[in-house]
Amino acid sequence: MKHPSQEVLALHAGGDLGWMARWKTARHLAGCERCTAEVGAFARFRETLPQLNQIPEVPWNRVAADMRANIRLGLAAGECVRSSDRPLRDSPLFTGARATLALASVLALMVTGLMLEGPAPSMASSNEPMVQATVNGIQSRSGDQAFGLMHSGARSVTYTVGAQGTLGARYTDPETGNVTMTKVYVE
Amino acid sequence: MWNNVKALTAAIVFLGATSLLAQDAAIPPGAVNINLPDNSPLALKSFTMADSRATARGAALALDLHMSATLVNNSPRRIHGVTLRVVAQEVTLGGKGSVTYPSLNVGPGETFQVRIDMQLMRPSQVTGGPLVQVDLDGVLFQDLSFFGPDRLNSRRTMTACEKEAQRDREHFKRILAQAGRTGLQREMLESMARQSEVSQLAVTVKRTGRAVTSAAIAPEHDAEFAFLEFPDSPVKPMNGSARISGNEARTPRIEVRNRSNRPVKYVEMGWIVSDPSGKQYMAGSLPSADTDLILPPGQSARLLQETTLSFSAKGQPVNVSKMVGFVNQVEFADGNIWVPNRQNLDNALLLKVLPPSAEEQRLTDIYRKRGGLDALVAELSKF
Repeated sequence: MKHPSQEVLALHAGGDLGWMARWKTARHLAGCERCTAEVGAFARFRETLPQLNQIPEVPWNRVAADMRANIRLGLAAGECVRSSDRPLRDSPLFTGARATLALASVLALMVTGLMLEGPAPSMASSNEPMVQATVNGIQSRSGDQAFGLMHSGARSVTYTVGAQGTLGARYTDPETGNVTMTKVYVE
Repeated sequence: MWNNVKALTAAIVFLGATSLLAQDAAIPPGAVNINLPDNSPLALKSFTMADSRATARGAALALDLHMSATLVNNSPRRIHGVTLRVVAQEVTLGGKGSVTYPSLNVGPGETFQVRIDMQLMRPSQVTGGPLVQVDLDGVLFQDLSFFGPDRLNSRRTMTACEKEAQRDREHFKRILAQAGRTGLQREMLESMARQSEVSQLAVTVKRTGRAVTSAAIAPEHDAEFAFLEFPDSPVKPMNGSARISGNEARTPRIEVRNRSNRPVKYVEMGWIVSDPSGKQYMAGSLPSADTDLILPPGQSARLLQETTLSFSAKGQPVNVSKMVGFVNQVEFADGNIWVPNRQNLDNALLLKVLPPSAEEQRLTDIYRKRGGLDALVAELSKF
């Protein structure tokens, strides 16, 4: 037999279920002593709730002051028994909330920066001097420095490689109609 | 745990600060220096750098340059080719390139437009001087005379292009004369079909020795070149080899003999590779060193380059199984240049792997995009 959850039973005890759920729960309770007992316990607990309002008001400010005093006392006691000379912080630099906030701020900065920066040119990566074709051009590269001659928009690009360390591209310039030959050199 | 959090936080703060520092700024035209000699046959009529931007990326500067210039022919001769030398702060970066415009036909007083698109990545702390220097390296005239400092051997490059252009224009004119417009149209369609079927390799060239890549872990061995021979070639390839390791070929060398009666000062071999499945690609060219070759008639010399070429196609390494070489260009000591004729190129292997000449590409572009057969016939009649 599948029993209703504790939440459903508690809501049923307070008469807070919808009509369909209430009908289904009542139908289950009719044949289940265990759940009936649970509902009874919830009902009794509800009856005690109004009495909680009669508890005298707690002096929260005084309690907080006592807690702060106790914390200072504990820190002072810890300082006395501390073996190392490292100074203690009053509080950790990064609590969970602070770290989350800091990371979120930095993330926002990064996203903004990347948006301002725009798409990066397609540069190949290598530390050795080399020449190679890229998506829309030819390029010589050495470390983080690159020199590229581009043929954006050109179709039918023919590449020519010179074993002495050159790479060339030949295409018809879509704007001028001129056959154009570019070449880059390994330095 | 605490240390990890601190390290992570520090890294993120650094990255965030770097990104925040990224600034995008327009590059003024003064950042590019265009240098045309006083006695240059070309003059600068206008120059723009629209949409050129510099972006700071931490300690580096990314430059995106779009240069457009209009040049005017101030000489009394027709210009058939121009090469510009492009250098990005030579002292600090060393980036060097060239932009060549072959197949021009610019009469005296006429203008033409050139475009140079560049991307540079360089240290941001470099200061002083123009970002980019554009120099005139050479101008080739209709009569194959030349003007310019020729620091990039643009005379040879443009003369070879012009010889190929003359060869191909003559070929198409002959077709037109013999087979009419229908024949010329058929030839254009066949050329376009060949161009679309040529498979290209992505090749990386390094000056250093063997690269350390996953494909290069394969054991290295010597592979011999086979040769396609052209009967009229002034140079005969004798033998050759390269060190092969997976998709890398290192230190290619070919021995050639001058069988002409004139001294030769430059030889360039075409280089075709086959993968294990037999698919063939044009891999590149193997030129002789620019300065040290003077090959008298009957003598032999070795073309050798201390470089490593890595081959790939569609992002996958292409392992080298076989290699074929052929003579692609020869320059005699007197400056004359030999290029293969159309009969030489009418070879099943070369038709499959060799891209068309710059002129054939230009003529097919005219046929395809700029007015069809009428425009093509009109263009051929200009020469």
